[in-house]
Amino acid sequence: MERTPEIFEKIEGYLTNTLPQEELIAFEKALATNQELQEEVEKHRMMHNVLGDQDTLDFKEKLARISTTIKEEEEEKIVTTSSFSLYWKVAASIVIVFGAGTLYWYISKSQNKTQNLYGSYYQAFPAEDNTRGNTTNEIQKVIKQYTNGVYDSVVIALENYPNLETQKRLQLYLGNSYLNLGQEKKAINQFTAISETDRYYEIGQWYLSLSYLKLNKPKKTIPILEEIIAYNGVYKAKAIKLLKELKK
Amino acid sequence: MSSTEERKILEGIVAGDEVIITTFYKQNLQYVRQYILQNSGNEADVEDVFQDALVLIYQKLKADSLELHSSLRTYFYGVCKNIWRNRLRKNKKMVITEEIPDDAESIPPAVIEYIAQKEQEHVYRKHFLKLSDSCREILQLLFQGKSMKDIATITGYSEGYTRKKKFDCKRSLIQMIEKDPIYQELYLTPEKK
Repeated sequence: MERTPEIFEKIEGYLTNTLPQEELIAFEKALATNQELQEEVEKHRMMHNVLGDQDTLDFKEKLARISTTIKEEEEEKIVTTSSFSLYWKVAASIVIVFGAGTLYWYISKSQNKTQNLYGSYYQAFPAEDNTRGNTTNEIQKVIKQYTNGVYDSVVIALENYPNLETQKRLQLYLGNSYLNLGQEKKAINQFTAISETDRYYEIGQWYLSLSYLKLNKPKKTIPILEEIIAYNGVYKAKAIKLLKELKK
Repeated sequence: MSSTEERKILEGIVAGDEVIITTFYKQNLQYVRQYILQNSGNEADVEDVFQDALVLIYQKLKADSLELHSSLRTYFYGVCKNIWRNRLRKNKKMVITEEIPDDAESIPPAVIEYIAQKEQEHVYRKHFLKLSDSCREILQLLFQGKSMKDIATITGYSEGYTRKKKFDCKRSLIQMIEKDPIYQELYLTPEKK
């Protein structure tokens, strides 16, 4: 059906009950037999109903603004890390000029850079909804502790959990808890245990790369990031960004 | 989260308190993001689902029909997951590489039905907000029930130009909506009203 200003006016008149009697009768007659017209009227009716709710539109617009601000902040956070890198380069020059402890500076710089990057990129693996029907009370308790950041309790519960190796999500919680408790080597063991054929493999590799970063071992982080990029999954974009930062 | 905190968040949402909404957004975005990205979605899907779920909660609060049988966070995640599962099911072109866990128990069946009914509305709002300011102004006045004469007076355009502009804006909006993949899927397999 061709859309014309006249048809739109008729539909609007019909929806707002402002059509003159004769036109209304003719329109209803056409509507009864013309399916395209019926569909067009429904689209207009929906538009008038949904978009007439100004409060909800304003709320939706507010959410869009908030989302933009959050995205800008996330971008800024990564850029700030780059600025830190620049800052350390400047600091390095000064130290070299004064000829004091070049080696010490280099180690310190490297550590600070990796720690800054770790701080920028690390976010704990999110816990699954703890109301799932097939989740035991014990696991629900662990998930709650994990969500609340009570990592030492999570470690105590999961270290002795039977058949943990068959539940990769729990292994990720345990690995993340170790990371938050400064037990990076134990975290690495958990993330390494997730095999390439497992659906959680990419996530495990991402946290493995961050574990090495936290240990200031960028040479170990880099090949893992390259593998994540080749894997071409959901962490690819983050891996590319982090790799770029590391190679600066 | 204590019930007092939850009440504050709910009051903040319904009042449009930007600080409270921003905090809620930041605290819960990562979880929703992780879920959608792991289940065939992309960043744009994350944004759409997150915002559509919040709009749904806002509307329920406004209508005083929000019944929480779990924590607000659990309820919100349940809504997000159901919205996303609906979209995946509808759009069979999307490749579902793994079984998506069913969290239907997080929210009552009536809410799941309500989510499905609201799908079209999200599409209409999303595209309306993409229109130019002048289009939005004219259409908003139209949807408020204003006559062409009143709209022309308010906007300062001639009545003839207002009519033409209204037609162009409305037609353009319908075309954008029709091209939306979610709308197309809904149109092919409409939900019960």
